[in-house]
Amino acid sequence: MKENNGAEIVAVEPGVYSVLLEGRSYEARVEESNGSVIVFIDGHRFEVEIRDPRRRSRHGGPPGGEGRLNVAAPMPGKVVRLLVAEGDSVTAGQGLLVVEAMKMQNEMKAPKAGRVVTLAARQGATVAAGEVLAVIE
Amino acid sequence: MFRKVLIANRGEIAVRVMRTLREMDIATVAVYSDADRASLHVRMADEAEWVGPSPSSESYLRIDRILDAARKHGAEAIHPGYGFLSENADFAGACADAGIVFIGPSADSIRRMGSKTAARQMALAAGAPVVPGAHEPLRGPAEVRRFAEQYGYPLLLKAVAGGGGKGMRRVDENGELDAAFRDAASEAERSFKSAELYVEKLIERPRHIEIQLLGDLHGHMIHFGERECSIQRRHQKVMEECPSPLVAARPGMREAMGDAAIRIARSAGYHNAGTVEFLVDARGDFYFLEMNTRLQVEHPITELVTGHDLVRLQLEVACGEPLRLRQEDISWRGSAVECRVYAEDPYNNFFPSPGKLTRLTRPLGPGIRLDGCVYEGWTVPIDYDPLLAKLAVWSGTREDAIARMLRALREYDVAGIHTNITFFRQILEDAEFRAGRLHTRFVDEFLERRPQFTPPPELQSIAEMVAAFHHQRGAARADASPPAARSRWLAMGRDEVLR
Repeated sequence: MKENNGAEIVAVEPGVYSVLLEGRSYEARVEESNGSVIVFIDGHRFEVEIRDPRRRSRHGGPPGGEGRLNVAAPMPGKVVRLLVAEGDSVTAGQGLLVVEAMKMQNEMKAPKAGRVVTLAARQGATVAAGEVLAVIE
Repeated sequence: MFRKVLIANRGEIAVRVMRTLREMDIATVAVYSDADRASLHVRMADEAEWVGPSPSSESYLRIDRILDAARKHGAEAIHPGYGFLSENADFAGACADAGIVFIGPSADSIRRMGSKTAARQMALAAGAPVVPGAHEPLRGPAEVRRFAEQYGYPLLLKAVAGGGGKGMRRVDENGELDAAFRDAASEAERSFKSAELYVEKLIERPRHIEIQLLGDLHGHMIHFGERECSIQRRHQKVMEECPSPLVAARPGMREAMGDAAIRIARSAGYHNAGTVEFLVDARGDFYFLEMNTRLQVEHPITELVTGHDLVRLQLEVACGEPLRLRQEDISWRGSAVECRVYAEDPYNNFFPSPGKLTRLTRPLGPGIRLDGCVYEGWTVPIDYDPLLAKLAVWSGTREDAIARMLRALREYDVAGIHTNITFFRQILEDAEFRAGRLHTRFVDEFLERRPQFTPPPELQSIAEMVAAFHHQRGAARADASPPAARSRWLAMGRDEVLR
């Protein structure tokens, strides 16, 4: 898993993105297809499923209810700061950790009030899209 | 020379013919069906005439309506392109009756070459090699059995009126014969309204190599060398090159094939452009397959390598001018490759993929020729062949032409519909292809052994980043918030707040 801290994305044409990463230039072309995004880079085709928390809440009911909820990375990045520890009680919307991607720092928030039963993320670690960072119960 | 020409076709070939007409300062008349009102050939033409609803049987195949359009607009000649009415002897005859020049051979030549068995007999009479086979329509499987006793299996049953692989069956042994005969005959009946079959010895893994001809009305005919068309899928050519790597490596082979092709065409009293197709076996022996009595789809690679505009030459000889080129004036320089870009999905069994082109970036730069009919925002109709464009490149050597084609395909971006662009890149990277070991089963075998096209590992994470970035931009637009570039992470935060 590569670190993405240096990645820079610019929208150059509708559906076309120029990516600069570690001095290398990539061009990505995007098409949408029922909920997933197809990305073409240099003739390679990637189907990326988008996990949209809003959509999930619309279609699957609010995720603030019973049981455990995973907090997963929606895209690759690097954990720069942990804001809570395992076992902490948190309120809904409270910041759990900060992840950096594309030169921007982003706070991952608790999807509901509860207790942090697992904090899988480690400061400085690189995470992949979909990787579970924390579990709230 | 003609002052006005009607193009009885659509798509890329109509556009290609119009380009030459315009260079020659000849007015152009397009015809179009309901599905093609917004198509490029109509936009490009000087004049245009509606000829019917979308199905080609009600529009582009309507001889009466095409001729009415020609008369109404005062066109002196009709270029038929390829497909549709281009090899229809009745159409060529009807043009002659109406006093309009058909830019192609005579109705009689088309008729004689249209029947495969008659064409074979003509080739035999002309002293050209043909694949061993029965030259009369077969009366039944018993006749095939006698043929097999003489020449052995495998055999190929073919429709007398056939083409495009319809009504064709391979037979490997006696036990398969009856069923194969029945299937081929009924398929031929359905496709061509004639169940007549003939049989040929099957040449295993042959190459398909064809010779381009052009003759004038005064008996002078020359050839423009060969095209290698062995890269086929379901008996349809998808990629062609000129020269053939095999022919280029064998001194005298081009001349021998050219001479044979001219002899065959002469025996049919042929004039205008035509192509004689040969099967070539592993030893380099060639056998007459059939003659196409029209301009071929893949003619641009011959134009790139010989430097002659075949459509211009067609027009000149059609209006009676003598062909000034002699055989020794034709030379072959460098190497050209063509890819037929289709609206089809190579990731889903090459399913046709009609629809709207949401984005189009064409390859540009040195050595590129693009014969297309598409533009951004155009909807590829479901009614016709899904050929979007022919991408041809030229360079000094075959190796350089392949590299140039790979470069061009990387620049080519078509969105909104699927295309076979990435499939071509995979074939061009293939070691067997690069070694020039081509045959008509190449694509089938390639698809069977196709190595996983594994992307470099960093591309997966870049794709994920871009997907999230793209998704977020879309969400931002949908929310009517400023379309500032924001990352997926910010979106997460905001979404949580909204909840």
